[in-house]
Amino acid sequence: MLGAIGLALGLSVIFGEPRQLWIGWLLPLVGVRLDLDPLGGIFVAATGAVAIAVGIYAVGYAKREHWARFPLITLPLFVAGMLLVPAAGSVTTFLLAWELMAATSLILVLSEHRRAAVRTAGVFYAIMTQLGFVAILVALVVLSASGGGDAFTTIAANADSLTPGIRNAIFLLTVLGFGSKAGLLPLHAWLPKAHPEAPSPVSALMSAAMVNMGIYGIIRIDLQLLGPGPHWWGLTLMIFGAVSAVFGVLQASVSTDLKQLLAYSTTENMGLITLALGAAMLLASSGAPTVAAIALTAALLHLLSHAAFKTLGFLAAGSVLAATGLRDLDKLGGLARRMPVTTVMFGIAALGASGLPLGAGFVSEWLLLQSLIHAPHDSITLVALAMPLSVGAVALTTGLGIAAMVKAFGVGFLARPRSAAAEAAREAPMSMLAGMTLAAAACVVFAVAPALLSPALQRVLAVLPTVGGDSAGPQIDTILRLPGVAGSISPALLAAALAIAVLLALVLARWGGRHRPPAMVTPLWACGADSLSPRMQYTATSFAEPLQRVFDDILRPDTNVEVTHFAESQYLVEKVTYQTLMADPVEQRFYTPVVRAVTVWAHLVRRAHTGSVHLYLAYGAAGLLIVLLVAR
Amino acid sequence: MTQATYTGVLDLAAGAFLLAAVLVVWRRELRALVRMLAWQGAALATIPLTVGIYQADAALIVVGVVVLLLRAVVLPLLLARAVGTEDHERRESTPLVNTTTSLLITAGLTVLAYAVTRPIIALDPSPATRAVPAAFAVILIAVFVMVSRRRALSQAVGFMMLDNGIAATAFLITSGVPLIVELGASLDVLFAVLVLGLLTGQMRRTFGGTDLDQLRELRD
Repeated sequence: MLGAIGLALGLSVIFGEPRQLWIGWLLPLVGVRLDLDPLGGIFVAATGAVAIAVGIYAVGYAKREHWARFPLITLPLFVAGMLLVPAAGSVTTFLLAWELMAATSLILVLSEHRRAAVRTAGVFYAIMTQLGFVAILVALVVLSASGGGDAFTTIAANADSLTPGIRNAIFLLTVLGFGSKAGLLPLHAWLPKAHPEAPSPVSALMSAAMVNMGIYGIIRIDLQLLGPGPHWWGLTLMIFGAVSAVFGVLQASVSTDLKQLLAYSTTENMGLITLALGAAMLLASSGAPTVAAIALTAALLHLLSHAAFKTLGFLAAGSVLAATGLRDLDKLGGLARRMPVTTVMFGIAALGASGLPLGAGFVSEWLLLQSLIHAPHDSITLVALAMPLSVGAVALTTGLGIAAMVKAFGVGFLARPRSAAAEAAREAPMSMLAGMTLAAAACVVFAVAPALLSPALQRVLAVLPTVGGDSAGPQIDTILRLPGVAGSISPALLAAALAIAVLLALVLARWGGRHRPPAMVTPLWACGADSLSPRMQYTATSFAEPLQRVFDDILRPDTNVEVTHFAESQYLVEKVTYQTLMADPVEQRFYTPVVRAVTVWAHLVRRAHTGSVHLYLAYGAAGLLIVLLVAR
Repeated sequence: MTQATYTGVLDLAAGAFLLAAVLVVWRRELRALVRMLAWQGAALATIPLTVGIYQADAALIVVGVVVLLLRAVVLPLLLARAVGTEDHERRESTPLVNTTTSLLITAGLTVLAYAVTRPIIALDPSPATRAVPAAFAVILIAVFVMVSRRRALSQAVGFMMLDNGIAATAFLITSGVPLIVELGASLDVLFAVLVLGLLTGQMRRTFGGTDLDQLRELRD
């Protein structure tokens, strides 16, 4: 049976890689129109690549975790839905594929439905995703009704005839709908609940591939079909993006749950991508197409690299979870000795997520910063104000991102194990490692040789003329050069220099080591205490404590300190209990009132449901009579 | 068949159809209800038979015969069997609305049916469409029966009357539905009655009676 499951997953993987079909290709079925252009192609390729890594990983994961058959069958369906979304060429097909993706992902989130946390997350996710779908549905139906056709090409041809009011309404609705899928700020609440509770391969698929579809929707509808639009469109996207990025990374840096940390990091990265898209929009509408093209390239490149490192991150977190049963960083530790390969893999992912040089996210974040810095300052006050502020937001995000990732890697994998479960960890099986290796290879490519992606990106830019895509984008070669802007960088040369430096240092150390006295083993100084125990190590909570103190007003942690004194003297302390509960402040502030109002309404409506069949029949009869009388 | 006979027979059938519905509202005895239903089925079958003979349409006559067999013979027999299994439940228990008020409401509903169907008659005034208000009144009366009766079996009778009313409206407005449509609708009703019979038995075993108000306990 497992062989058959492996085959099914393999098929999904093979199906998941129509990379060779990048050139527009048409498949008119009955009402289903697939029209894959380079823009959709890059998303299909990213999804397919993620699916390959996850598919190979899931073979081992399913065997180890005894996955039920139903979620396993749903997994290829989910992938198929995600592949169809960017390939859809008409509004109907798009909505169909979107709903397929949403429904299957919900089933997958609920695959461990015996735990209460999973059920709560599932309900939350179902409501959010369906509300988002309603927004998208209304927007796209309005678009196709006023755009004179169902196919995207027809709408694009008629896009100029739309009135500004309709354009603005569609823009706002799509940003809300797609933003909820991408996990942008006020609508992100499902993401840190659903992603950690789903099985790890599913988390990887959702976090690395599904959220991209939200970005795809924004690019396709708002950037490509509706054109650059007025200034405030770009500004809205930038604000959404900046707030999501900063908030996401703040939550990530104080989170102690490994998978929740990664989920918040997804919000952060989607925020950065949206910020880049908004910047591209604003720059294009204020007459700086060259810089806009750089911002757009940054968005696309970051999207791809995020897919790579987030897949790897969730897969590595999944093998930690499978090996120890723990997600709490405060209880992990010491995994570097016990699971060396997984540790290296997570290290690569963390490096990518932190945006440091030689990490997968570096090149795109560098491009984004360059585009923000080199925006024309003299043209419009709005641009001149927005750009420096967003540089600040990106810088803060990156800095906090490093803290979050150092915490995840350092506390989770280094030092000594903090619990028995972490001590008993064993390395993941071969297929899980193979899946992770694939994702890691992609990360390294993004980090060291982004030039390989250059032709693909150029073609994508070419189909986005409304946001400055037809002007020359940045030349991603061995050395990155930005046209019209002073700035260049070469990740490959950086990597080579670093490798040479490390080699030199090793050789010198070996050479110098001969003159040193031999090493001695002496007892550690433990500040006068008896011995050092693993509980004395830095934990994730203590690592994030300074940050939590600085951002106290935003994070609003619920801290509880209880000091128990000895009965004899109140100067001697028997024990101290310290408890911090990190809740999502946005969720508490915005969602609680809404949920309460809905509950009140539901109670009112429930009064009409007495359980009497006759009353229900009478409702129907009264309705029929009213309709008859009104329609007469 | 002359025009005058045709109109006369059609009006008579529609009148009998409506009268059967009013009698269902009046009577309490379950066996009597089933008998009324059989009469109503016969009146319903007369409509396509008359139209078929008048227009010399063989398919319509076949439909009429099928309707006659099903609604005047098979379905009432099934219901009668359901009644016969229990001795102490021969009568409808006290209805939610008493008989006098029920008859008044029925009269009101009939007037309402005549009022709301005026536009339909105005579209194409013919003997057949002039009988539509009677069929429509039966639909409304059937809904009222379902709302006001307690026993599961009288609910089934109300449901069948509802379906009879819909079928009669269809026959009168379209002057004959295709055979396949009529067969489909009739089979639906047959299945519904079988399911209702099963459910009634189930209810009797569970609650010891078929009073629908006991279903209230099922609410969460």
